[in-house]
Amino acid sequence: MTRAADIRFEHVVKRFGAATAVRDVSFHIPAGELCTLLGPSGCGKTTILRMVAGLEYPTEGRVLIGGRDVSTLPPAERDVSMVFQSYALFPHMTVLENVSYGLAVSGKPKRAAAEAARAALASVGLAGFDARLPSELSGGQQQRVAVARALVLEPSVLLFDEPLSNLDARLRRHMREEIRELQQRLGVTALYVTHDQSEALAISDRIIVMNNAVIAQEGTPSSLYQAPRSAFVAGFIGDANRLPARLRRIDADQAEVTLGRAVLRLPHYGRADGDVELALRPEAVRLTTEDDPEAALTGSVAKAAYLGGTMEYTLATEAGEIFVTAPSAAGQHAPGQRLGIALAGHGIAVLAE
Amino acid sequence: MRITTFRRALGATVFAMLGLGALAAPAAAQGSLNLYCSAQVEWCQAAANAFAKETGIRVSMSQKGSGEVLAQIRAEAQNPRGDIWYGGTGDPHLQAAEDNLTAEYRSPMLDQLYDWAQKQARDSQYRTVGIYAGALGFGFNTELLARRNITPPACWRDLLTPPFRNEIQMANPQSSGTAYVMIATMVQVMGEEAAFDYLKQLHRNINAYPRSGTAPVKAVARGETGVSISFVHDVVTERLGGFPAQFALPCEGTGYEIGSMSIIRGSRNERNARRFYDWALTPAAQQIGAEAKSFQTPSNRSTPVPAEAPQMSQIRLIDYDFAKYGTSAERRRLIERWDREVNSLPR
Amino acid sequence: MRAAGIAGAAVALIAALFFPWYLAQDGVLTALREIPGWWREADFAPAVLQASSQGRWWLWPAVLAPLAALIAGVAPLPRRARATGFLVAGGAGLALLVVQGLAIGVQGWAWPGLESVFGVLDDRQYGIGWGGSLVAMGLALTASAGLAGRGAFRGDAFTAGCATAIGIGVLLFTFLPLAALLGDAFRDAGGALSPLAAVTRLADDRLWGLGCLAGGPRCGVVWNTLLVATLVGFGTTVLGLAFALLVTRGRLGVALAKPLRWLTVLPIVTPPFILGLGLILIFGRSGVVSQLAADWFGLELGRWIYGLPGILLAQLFAFTPIAFLVLIGVVEGLSPTLEEAASMLRASPEKIFRTVTLPLLMPGLANAFLLGFIESIADFGNAVVLGGSFNVLATEIFFAVVGAQADPGRAATLSLVLLLIACLVFVIQQRLTGGRKSFVSIGGKGDGGLPPALPPRLRRLCLGLALPWAGLTIGLYVLAVSGAFVEIWGRDNTPTLRHLAKAFDFEWTQGLQLTGLAWNSVLTTLELAAIAAPITAGFGILAAWLFSRAKFAGRGLLEFATLLSFAVPGTVIGVAYLRAFNLPPLELAGTGAIIVVCFIFRNLPVGLRSGMAAMAQIDRSLDEASSTLGGNGLDAFRRVLMPLLRPAIIAGLTYAFVRAMTTISAVIFLVTAETELATVFIVNRVINGDYGLAIAVAVVLIVLMLAVLGLAQLAVGRRRIGRRAAIPLSTEPGAAA
Repeated sequence: MTRAADIRFEHVVKRFGAATAVRDVSFHIPAGELCTLLGPSGCGKTTILRMVAGLEYPTEGRVLIGGRDVSTLPPAERDVSMVFQSYALFPHMTVLENVSYGLAVSGKPKRAAAEAARAALASVGLAGFDARLPSELSGGQQQRVAVARALVLEPSVLLFDEPLSNLDARLRRHMREEIRELQQRLGVTALYVTHDQSEALAISDRIIVMNNAVIAQEGTPSSLYQAPRSAFVAGFIGDANRLPARLRRIDADQAEVTLGRAVLRLPHYGRADGDVELALRPEAVRLTTEDDPEAALTGSVAKAAYLGGTMEYTLATEAGEIFVTAPSAAGQHAPGQRLGIALAGHGIAVLAE
Repeated sequence: MRITTFRRALGATVFAMLGLGALAAPAAAQGSLNLYCSAQVEWCQAAANAFAKETGIRVSMSQKGSGEVLAQIRAEAQNPRGDIWYGGTGDPHLQAAEDNLTAEYRSPMLDQLYDWAQKQARDSQYRTVGIYAGALGFGFNTELLARRNITPPACWRDLLTPPFRNEIQMANPQSSGTAYVMIATMVQVMGEEAAFDYLKQLHRNINAYPRSGTAPVKAVARGETGVSISFVHDVVTERLGGFPAQFALPCEGTGYEIGSMSIIRGSRNERNARRFYDWALTPAAQQIGAEAKSFQTPSNRSTPVPAEAPQMSQIRLIDYDFAKYGTSAERRRLIERWDREVNSLPR
Repeated sequence: MRAAGIAGAAVALIAALFFPWYLAQDGVLTALREIPGWWREADFAPAVLQASSQGRWWLWPAVLAPLAALIAGVAPLPRRARATGFLVAGGAGLALLVVQGLAIGVQGWAWPGLESVFGVLDDRQYGIGWGGSLVAMGLALTASAGLAGRGAFRGDAFTAGCATAIGIGVLLFTFLPLAALLGDAFRDAGGALSPLAAVTRLADDRLWGLGCLAGGPRCGVVWNTLLVATLVGFGTTVLGLAFALLVTRGRLGVALAKPLRWLTVLPIVTPPFILGLGLILIFGRSGVVSQLAADWFGLELGRWIYGLPGILLAQLFAFTPIAFLVLIGVVEGLSPTLEEAASMLRASPEKIFRTVTLPLLMPGLANAFLLGFIESIADFGNAVVLGGSFNVLATEIFFAVVGAQADPGRAATLSLVLLLIACLVFVIQQRLTGGRKSFVSIGGKGDGGLPPALPPRLRRLCLGLALPWAGLTIGLYVLAVSGAFVEIWGRDNTPTLRHLAKAFDFEWTQGLQLTGLAWNSVLTTLELAAIAAPITAGFGILAAWLFSRAKFAGRGLLEFATLLSFAVPGTVIGVAYLRAFNLPPLELAGTGAIIVVCFIFRNLPVGLRSGMAAMAQIDRSLDEASSTLGGNGLDAFRRVLMPLLRPAIIAGLTYAFVRAMTTISAVIFLVTAETELATVFIVNRVINGDYGLAIAVAVVLIVLMLAVLGLAQLAVGRRRIGRRAAIPLSTEPGAAA
């Protein structure tokens, strides 16, 4: 139904007075993808979103949508729509008036606008709510109105600014599935800002992780999870243990990495021979006996917590404290017990910095 | 999109026009006269109405004190709004004439006027003319003086006596023409040095120098002060307003004001202004003052004078030299001397 | 951008083709009605005919510039080229019109140099009228649209138009007159330029003398002014705080709290002079109090009311409501949670008040003090009635202008001093309230806490201050109002309707004849106030939107300049207006327009402030949502903010109306017979001692304004306010999240 457009940032810098919110950022989001901007608050992700929307203009660099330079075009002249964190529903207008607002200001006849707005409301499951005021809706319904209001303009780019942060946990999961489903159905390009990594992993085609005004890493959800380049990314997406290891290059990409008793073949990401750090996912280990020859490390249980389906352990090892999870069905270990830790062969990577 | 643009443009245009159209100035008729009037408002209103009725010229009258009118004429000098200035004490009129703010005009009515009115015209090279006169004197509150057992003043020198301590008000000559007439009168009666000695002694008995010339007589009427130095016709007005005010005329002789009239130079309706000028000097027009309860003496010899009015013929008037004491320089000098030598003394 | 540019060009072109270019002496409607073939007359012809057949070739830009802009708008051009077209046509056209307007005046060439270049000009022109002003406005709109199209003002033509309108307005109607007036300070009595004159006048002993400290008769007028202002600022703050604390925390009950609130409104709607007269009637030498003292105790109280005590008392009455209104907002805004926290930490109620409440109120108290200070130094009416021999700057300026020794240079110098004091105070106030946010914590989070009751001792103190004051106010008003209904105020107490009849008489002979003396002025006041109020409120809201939402270069400066006119005393503004707008091209003196303009720019800052306060409570994301949905600045303003701001707009409208009805010092020099205002009518009646008539008119005005206030209350009250509160309007910093 729409012609999706790609988004391209070229060396974009945004300064507010002395503070730099975005420092030399470049990326490309292909048309029809859902890309998430993920990062802690203050990392510059919302500023990037607002520059796509036209609510801020870059200090340097260019922003292109569908190949057109829109760097200093006002929002009204870009083909984008946005769902706000606060939803920003106009409190004095009914649901129908809210949704048809965009059509009304662009001069569409009233009847046609109302018809399109009803269709959009129906597509988010709110048919029949036309005459309500926003304050008469629940949080999830308000959220859907905000989405419908953005969709009705059939934009080539759809922006979401932490759209789920005002909802409770259960509703949040439900809504994120709906958003993903909707985006797939419409084939629209979407840019989605969140600081919730599980939300990002669940809905994205691609994730751009931001930290301190620059891109820390970008890639598919699984590549980011499996192979974080930096301690920051490793720690921000999921949990990760940072372990000291020794590295020796063996060919162009691969290196031989020694961790405790184990020797692994891993991509070296440009690291030179010598001491490096590894990121190890908590679930990427197998707990075994202390004398198991496959155990890379050994240690004793410092803390143990029962979480229903899984157990969480903190182990004191020769490489420092390690946090691991294991299915509780596999047996439980009491504090003080000595264990061996074997690597599962995935969820471990050399940190590039 | 194109249609929208033009629809919006049209909407904005209409809106702008309507919004600005709301500012439309009030309408007025053709053949008008802008009258600045410094007499009492009832008098001004009556004069404006009578003239309009008689001539069919639309008069817009604006009543202000003579100082304010002078300030306004001065500010508007390059592009005058008013046509004629009617009433108010003579000094500002003379000053306006001196500053070339008013126009020369010899009315055919001049011959019918008293000498003092004609002299006013001659002194100003026919830029202004006297329309009424009023003598300076004392106003006093009969009830207040009776309660405090004070004999009403009869002579200038009475005001220096102890019973009047803190009982006298005169206006501040820095802002009031009335007070300046008083100073100039004293200088002419006594000579300058003696006059200033007198003013210094009087200073001790004064309780305030209000800014406006009529404020002292209002204070007398309301019992806020015992005695005022004022024009006696103003006292009559208060008495007729129901207040226990009475006037007295100084035995040493006293000065007077000549209420004047001038045509403003460069006015847009000069023809109508001249017509008003001539009309205002007729007995019929001059009677309007008394009808509006203002009891100055009219300048046309044949205007009847009502019984309540102070009779100029019975007042011992000095030969007030308006030409000399009306100039800005002399005025400034005397007022500055007063401020320096009198106003700065402790009481 | 395109729509705005075309609209501006169209307005200008229509005006140039059909509207009389010059100001018509008797009003344009009369001219059009009564002069057949007016378009052929030199005084009334529109620009195109002036230029083509009256030989006024210098008016061609008025026709050609809009035409060029219109062509740029209609022609198929790329966006940027079109914008450049608008900018060049609008800007150059406007510039040429300004130049011709300044160069050719009532007496031909305005500068002698031009005559030697162009030869003698056998023509002259008066000020511009409808045609001229509309062409200029249209061209300014087109030029601003051009600027927006070239990327300024973030590309939004509406923002550009607003900023241009407000910028030009403030420049023309605040800066220009003040600059012209203050220039006089540097001229000697003869009008020649002389910096020394200013120095001499400034060094005058009458300004700075400290003789009174050494037992002399008087102190300099500057010290007088500062003394009164400090005392009034302090007094109004204390009284205002007492009232505010009582109303919010005094546990007074509705029966007492509501009348107290209304009582504070009264002085705001009271025309000037009435309070002063009432005070004389109570405390004057023959007033009620003095008579009683003499009859009962044989005390002669004398004339103590005239001078400092009288001015002080009158100003306290007049300005305490302002302090109250400021402080009640602050007190209500205090989050009770903080005080509850303190009480959980075992602090006693008095200790809490001293250590928590009062420090939190400090910025508000400082603000109230400075407002009282500024109002006091600008007040003219009370000082002139009750001043006696005690002079303050406002009265000195007035009498320097109108006094027997008219001295515009001295007036300008005094104005300069007054202006400097006001600006200084204003800057301090901005620092206090603008830069760092006050501690007021209106909880969007909905604090559940209850404001604590006042400590008993403090409550007694507040009651001790407020109740006598309220009693005095009531007494004052009863006495003042009674003046309209008795024969002679304070002397002959026979009831009568004579004064009302004199003011508002009418008869039915050939239709309705309004024969009362006050009709003209009251109707004029209503008309001008009714014209000015919506424009003021609209401008105020526009400016508030511009300064709090739009981003553009020079915003801070423009905001400061707009707010500044609040600090300029009315007398100064009045004189400056007369000084600046008596000559072409802007020959406004003597018209109703100058009064309307004066109202607008005098009262704009107040509307602006309340608008900004209201705007701060509306989440920015609402406008952003509008703009991402394709709306431009105008859409966001008109469709989203205006409906949400309706209560603030109504409040601004009411306030602008009331201020226009009661203002005196600024307009006393601007009124003419045609445009006499009710306040000026009252003042002249007071000066002539006709108190009954003056008070009758004042009473009618008060009743009118109370009715307007009541209607406004109804209009605001009927809104469904609740529906907004339910929406989470979290204020997110937005910039770098």
